[in-house]
Amino acid sequence: MLNYIWASLIVIGILVAVWSDWHEISTNKYHNGEEYPITLKLEDTSVLPLQKSFSYGCTVFIDDVSGMSQHANLIPSDGNHGILRIFVDENTPPLWREIFTAQKRSDYLLAHIRWDGDSANSLSAKMKFEPVKFVHLNAVTNDGIIKYAKIAVELAIGLIGIMALWLGVMKIAEQSGLVAKIAGFLKPVMTRLFPDVPADHPAIGSMIMNISANILGLANAATPLGLKAMEELNKLNKKLGTATDAMCTFLVINTSNVQLIPATVIAIRAAAGSSNPTEILGPVIVATTVSTVVGVITVKLLARMQIFKKELS
Amino acid sequence: MDLLVNTVSTISILAIPALILFIVIYGAIKKVKIYESFVEGAKEGFNVGVRIIPYLVAMLVAIGIFRAGGAMELLARIIYPITNLIGMPAEALPMAIIRPLSGSGALGIMSEIIKTHGPDSLIARMVSVMMGSGETTFYVLAIYFGSVNITKTRQAVPAGIIADIVGILMSVWLVNLIFN
Repeated sequence: MLNYIWASLIVIGILVAVWSDWHEISTNKYHNGEEYPITLKLEDTSVLPLQKSFSYGCTVFIDDVSGMSQHANLIPSDGNHGILRIFVDENTPPLWREIFTAQKRSDYLLAHIRWDGDSANSLSAKMKFEPVKFVHLNAVTNDGIIKYAKIAVELAIGLIGIMALWLGVMKIAEQSGLVAKIAGFLKPVMTRLFPDVPADHPAIGSMIMNISANILGLANAATPLGLKAMEELNKLNKKLGTATDAMCTFLVINTSNVQLIPATVIAIRAAAGSSNPTEILGPVIVATTVSTVVGVITVKLLARMQIFKKELS
Repeated sequence: MDLLVNTVSTISILAIPALILFIVIYGAIKKVKIYESFVEGAKEGFNVGVRIIPYLVAMLVAIGIFRAGGAMELLARIIYPITNLIGMPAEALPMAIIRPLSGSGALGIMSEIIKTHGPDSLIARMVSVMMGSGETTFYVLAIYFGSVNITKTRQAVPAGIIADIVGILMSVWLVNLIFN
């Protein structure tokens, strides 16, 4: 099933991007190639004549729209051509803002201009924005593929330190017999949830510690303890590479979130000035409990189905 | 409520130092060579981190493509008529879709909605409950199964998704019931 979901995310993601780009190109959403008649006023007229590759501060007036002006830098190139870097501010029209977002320059909008002759302190010119194309496909490449491949590795590497810490601590707990003792506390519950794991197996102790850490919202401890539990569960796995029933049940408990207090959510609500940031607590606890119970029941029922059973044999 | 929050947050702060202290002292009493055991166990940390990289890259890149290409907005527009019937506002729908896929993405949408609609609006409460009661299912699947090199995930994925859907539906229903 993961295969299909994985393929769907990629295929749908890319097809939607292609379709959106095609739609934008065919409707010319960004008005690519449109020329705007403008008047440029240099901030400092003593610099004339203009020199190539220098940058001049100026104000741009759009001839068709009275009262609209934008600050910009003019960088002349050969002849009467040049580029204009327009600084986006609150006066910038919506379409220009969209072009600005799509162009992805840090703080300016890029346009090409040509003007007729050098005049005193103002130039009348024609301006064209740098064309914007394939916004979505570019986003897929840069914000999707490249960025997330990097994030994935950073997340995994970031886990190493805390992982090592908890694996070390758990080793002490294991060798001192503490993990087995912890397993004893919740024996009746755990043997029911995980019938194919022996009650005194170290996996039980690790799973109890992982679930406790999750309930308390200790993400830093919960993940390493959970991975430790997976390692222990895998020792009971007769078919490596395929998940056992116990693993699936354990996973569902983890993915359905058993956290009692969503500290981040409450903090954000408090920071936004909520009159009662914790009022969501009741529904959160009920929703998460119901989803966990339904998840566990579902995973148990599905485990009996032939299609999942035969994968184990 | 406040008493519960205070109690749990105090326990959360104390839990990690107390647990480490307890395990180390218990180990020492039981005459375990604690330092050597710790180092022996900790050695595995690096391997686990490296082992999950391919699984995490596969999962996060697929989610990244889905998010960056604008597929989420399109999906939200397609299923909006259905979710509208159960009392889920259109703005809350992207949250329901992103919650199992990306934790940071969900947090961003929640903050955005709280900022635009105010923290005490119905929709802000709804996304807060979704955020608090959900989990980044696909991230958890990738690293937990990845750490033991499991690719055949059997019933874990369908059951996890059903639990997610139930969590979302419960959030919508409860928030409408209590606050509306």
